[in-house]
Amino acid sequence: MKNKIMTDLDIKQKNKTVKAEPDKVKKADESVVIEFQNVSKKYSANIEAIHDVSFNVLIGEFISLVGPSGAGKSTLVKLLTCEEKPTGGKILVAGRDISELKKKELPFFRRKVGVIFQDFKLLPKKTVYENIAFALEVCDAPDSEIKEKVPKIIDLVGLTNRAFSFTEELSGGEKQRVSIARALVHNPKLLIADEPTGNLDPVSTWEIIELLFKINKQGTIVLLASHDKEVVDSLQKRVITMKDGKVVSDQQKGKYNL
Amino acid sequence: MQLFTTLTRITKTALISLWRNRWLSLAATLVMILTLFTVSFFTCLLLMVNSTTTMLRSKVDISVYFNDSVSNDQIFSIENTLLARSDVKSVDYISKEKALEVWRSQNTDNTQLRDIINDAYNPLPRSLEIKTDQPEDLEGVNTFLSSTDYKPLIKEISYRKNKDLVDRLIKITTFIKYVGWILSGLFVIISILIIYNTIRLTIYARSEEIEIMKLVGASDWYVQGPFILEGVVYGILAAIISSLILYLAAQLFLPAAGNYLGVANVSTLISNISFFAIIVIQLLVGIFLGTLCSVFAVKKHLK
Repeated sequence: MKNKIMTDLDIKQKNKTVKAEPDKVKKADESVVIEFQNVSKKYSANIEAIHDVSFNVLIGEFISLVGPSGAGKSTLVKLLTCEEKPTGGKILVAGRDISELKKKELPFFRRKVGVIFQDFKLLPKKTVYENIAFALEVCDAPDSEIKEKVPKIIDLVGLTNRAFSFTEELSGGEKQRVSIARALVHNPKLLIADEPTGNLDPVSTWEIIELLFKINKQGTIVLLASHDKEVVDSLQKRVITMKDGKVVSDQQKGKYNL
Repeated sequence: MQLFTTLTRITKTALISLWRNRWLSLAATLVMILTLFTVSFFTCLLLMVNSTTTMLRSKVDISVYFNDSVSNDQIFSIENTLLARSDVKSVDYISKEKALEVWRSQNTDNTQLRDIINDAYNPLPRSLEIKTDQPEDLEGVNTFLSSTDYKPLIKEISYRKNKDLVDRLIKITTFIKYVGWILSGLFVIISILIIYNTIRLTIYARSEEIEIMKLVGASDWYVQGPFILEGVVYGILAAIISSLILYLAAQLFLPAAGNYLGVANVSTLISNISFFAIIVIQLLVGIFLGTLCSVFAVKKHLK
């Protein structure tokens, strides 16, 4: 199981674990999937969103990333999806520095990662169904699989009666659900959720958290960026707290304490 | 098989988004129609002007009229000397009888005048009608005939009378030719820029879509495909519609133009413009421009 996830997240899937370069010695610990090594990100000379951040993510973990606005949570998410490149340090995923991914490999990496974006990032001229199906289409999934999986996941997030509405016609909460469904439909190995409950009412919030838990139990690593104290406290999972671009605490079964 | 699935998906996506962005598609197609039409229209006009000038130039000739004392043999020997020249295209011998025929046909209205000259009394001189490959060559033929050797034989050379007219015709036709080609070149450049800009704007309006597709893990090829295909569709639609307009315009206006120019058979004006060729060329240009402009425009957003 462990090895499966390791290789699944590895793009080349070959010869990776055999290599023993000095900076990859830590890979001896096979349960480490993601490594942040002294990562910094400067947007300009004066604005440093992230400063010298280091932590490891282990197989099957559910991590909450908390901190006030501007703490660097979203930047961290963007670094992990290769939307931005670090200006210092390295991010290793399955032993591979993701800032060194070739242009052609990038799409393959992104297909292994599901992201629930803070601003949803839904395709505006497409219906709910098409938006979710798109994530499978780019993975070259056969039509039969798309026909089977998409309605299921739409049902799971409770949008069956909205399946053929355009995303522009949806409310904030509904868009959020579409974004979640799209992030989950291709069974990603890593799920990054950037404020996934920000637009939801309390009942829906718990439904979504429940869903994330379920996904996590099936072996997907979940990284939840949130500033919802109630949610984070009740999770009883690892909490990484950030402030001003630095990690100020990293606790197992942590609490939101800022 | 996988390729087939991908192609089907790209085609489907392209067609759906063409329809959903129909105002944008319509605007892009309209701009392409206008530019394709303008370029084809001017090209046709240019070809017509060219064939007209070629026709006019081919009508320019030089006639040498001989004194009656000159023997036919002498005339034939001059004819042969002329035919041996590389710049001479044809030499026609006009006998007294032939000249009389022409005289009669030119004066059908005035029988009195016509009958002044008849078989019994025919002062019309024998002549050679010389045509050259280029009107510019007439000068050389004229100089040749004006040389002292032939002077006693020749009554008159028509070129001397028409020299001004011929010179001006040569100047005007060359001018039209060059200006025409320069204008067409300019039009082509302008239309490429306009089409590129239009397609760029339609894609710019959807740059967010491109970003999202990439974030979800679509390959560059998968993102580009539908946009390029949409560009091709604009090109095809524009070429067909522009050809239709051009065809209708030709049907409506060519007869009138023919009347005005005094060319009885209009088809001679466009004999070297085949309508089928126009459609094919427009289609090729439309598809080529649509594809190329889309490729360049999307590339910018893919980074």
